[in-house]
Amino acid sequence: MKRSKTLRILSVVGLLIIGLIVLLPFFWMISVSLKPATEPFAIPARLWPESPTLANYASAFRPEFRTYFLNSMIVSGASVVITVSLALFAAYSFTRGQLFALSFMLGAVVLAQMFPHAAIIIPIYKMMRSWDLLNSYTSLILSYVSITLPVAIWMLRGFLVKLPVSLEEAAAVDGASPMRVFRDIVVPLARPGIISVAVYVLIITWQEFLFALSFTSTNDMRTLPVGLNDFIGQYGIRYGELMASSVMVSMPVVAVFFFLQRYFVAGLTAGAVKG
Amino acid sequence: MATVELSGLTKTYGNYTALKGLNLSIADGEFIVLLGPSGCGKSTTMRLVAGLEEITSGEILIGGERVNERPARDRNLAMVFQNYALYPHMTVGENIGYPLKIAGIRKDERQKAVDAAAAKVEMGHLLSRRPSELSGGQRQRVALARAIVRTPRLFLMDEPLSNLDAKLRTVMRAELKHLQKELATTTIYVTHDQVEAMTLADRIVILNDAVIQQVGTPAEIYARPANTFVASFIGSPPMNLISGTLADGILTHAAGQLPMAGAGEVKLGVRPEDIYLCEGDDPVHFEGQVYSAELLGDCVLLNIKTDEGLLSARVPPTVQLTMGDTVKLRFDTNSLHLYDATTGNRRDS
Repeated sequence: MKRSKTLRILSVVGLLIIGLIVLLPFFWMISVSLKPATEPFAIPARLWPESPTLANYASAFRPEFRTYFLNSMIVSGASVVITVSLALFAAYSFTRGQLFALSFMLGAVVLAQMFPHAAIIIPIYKMMRSWDLLNSYTSLILSYVSITLPVAIWMLRGFLVKLPVSLEEAAAVDGASPMRVFRDIVVPLARPGIISVAVYVLIITWQEFLFALSFTSTNDMRTLPVGLNDFIGQYGIRYGELMASSVMVSMPVVAVFFFLQRYFVAGLTAGAVKG
Repeated sequence: MATVELSGLTKTYGNYTALKGLNLSIADGEFIVLLGPSGCGKSTTMRLVAGLEEITSGEILIGGERVNERPARDRNLAMVFQNYALYPHMTVGENIGYPLKIAGIRKDERQKAVDAAAAKVEMGHLLSRRPSELSGGQRQRVALARAIVRTPRLFLMDEPLSNLDAKLRTVMRAELKHLQKELATTTIYVTHDQVEAMTLADRIVILNDAVIQQVGTPAEIYARPANTFVASFIGSPPMNLISGTLADGILTHAAGQLPMAGAGEVKLGVRPEDIYLCEGDDPVHFEGQVYSAELLGDCVLLNIKTDEGLLSARVPPTVQLTMGDTVKLRFDTNSLHLYDATTGNRRDS
């Protein structure tokens, strides 16, 4: 009894320390974003600014930022919609299909996910160039769909294998065509899975930097992660504005995650157990 | 409403044969129960009729029309699943109305049909609930209502009562029987429960090892089991089967003998209720020690230890016997069943 109590206290302390380490950078980001330009490097360093100011936010929220934000929304939004739709159909086929070849293909999907982005970016770049798609939303959406689809398929499959087949059979006997069964029965029941996959794709694509930097060349096509780079100049880094932008960039994903984390965690475990 | 004709119906999964050349004619409006132990092919038969499995060989005619290649959705059947298969994201009303929605029936007409079907199973007051908010019996009723909301050619029921508790099962059994007679829709019902089969069926089809063992009315099957499998499957407790040798008009078995015509190795079948305790100069057909005596209220179920193994006998409740008592028994010689020891088939025609 006593031992378990000490153990519990120790584990709580341990979790607090880990939590602190994880959260400190975010706290520092917010703190710096509220400091006037002269303060970030003050010695001794202050955890919290002496006189917090929103000036950094005002200057960070420039027209370019709004363009970047819009670009990110378009690219991430389209990636989410396309990946989730494709993954739904694919995962359903992998779950219910009885072809022997499907199990090989499911393995191939995993294989596709194993290559580091740095290794596939050059071929993809060449493909985009030959299709004349560089510096377009399409190039980013295509590459984002291709890098998120494998995990999305596996996550959704984890959900779909848990749906009882008899529901689909019941609908078929009730007169529903296969597409109708999919629409009326499978999709509504897979909603938690769909939400968690959507959150996953959003998180990945919203923060993606490598492809966005390589495939876009003009300011009107850049996305937020690349846009943050603007504050890192040749002769110095404008930390205040950089951090203020970072906070603004993080907000949407944090908000989405906050409201939907229940589904996201369920999705990860479902995929893990069944995978 | 339709007749069903199954001819040479066979289903194999790889090397495994789930159903071997099944032939069966079902009359219009008939209540047919497929009965057998698990793995006997009864559920496979139903799934083939429903169109949920592909037929390996053979033919299915529904209403005189060959439906082998028709997908389940075009067969116009209604099925009640063992786990009810209610759509969890729809309300009770939406569940019942789903077949009509697919058929493209207008909303107001649909509502009328849903109300009527729900009223028939006394679920009218729960239409806006979700399946998760219902008890097992209520879910069962919703599944039934979904089946009767349209007029299908055939009802298929796959062990629909097996998830209910014993008391509710009895009630639902009666309701089901009543409903089927009222609607006069041909019904194929799968179960492993012989009581359900006996009480519900117009005719019972007993399956074992992918083959039909016997087809007949409950009374026929009980009175004249076609082989030792049926004999030991129907009846509770099951029929006693005693190995013996017939010669010179006498059947000799390990624990006694009795006069009987014929010759060869046989198995003698005696139902527990056809065994009596000997009184006065009654001929003794059997002797053994009481192994257990169970008072069931209206009778005492005796298990008697003999050289043939345990025999069960149903005797009047007034009989007072305790463990170890020696008892002499006689059989009702008019109700004996004789089976060939090697083939297991009934000897008298």
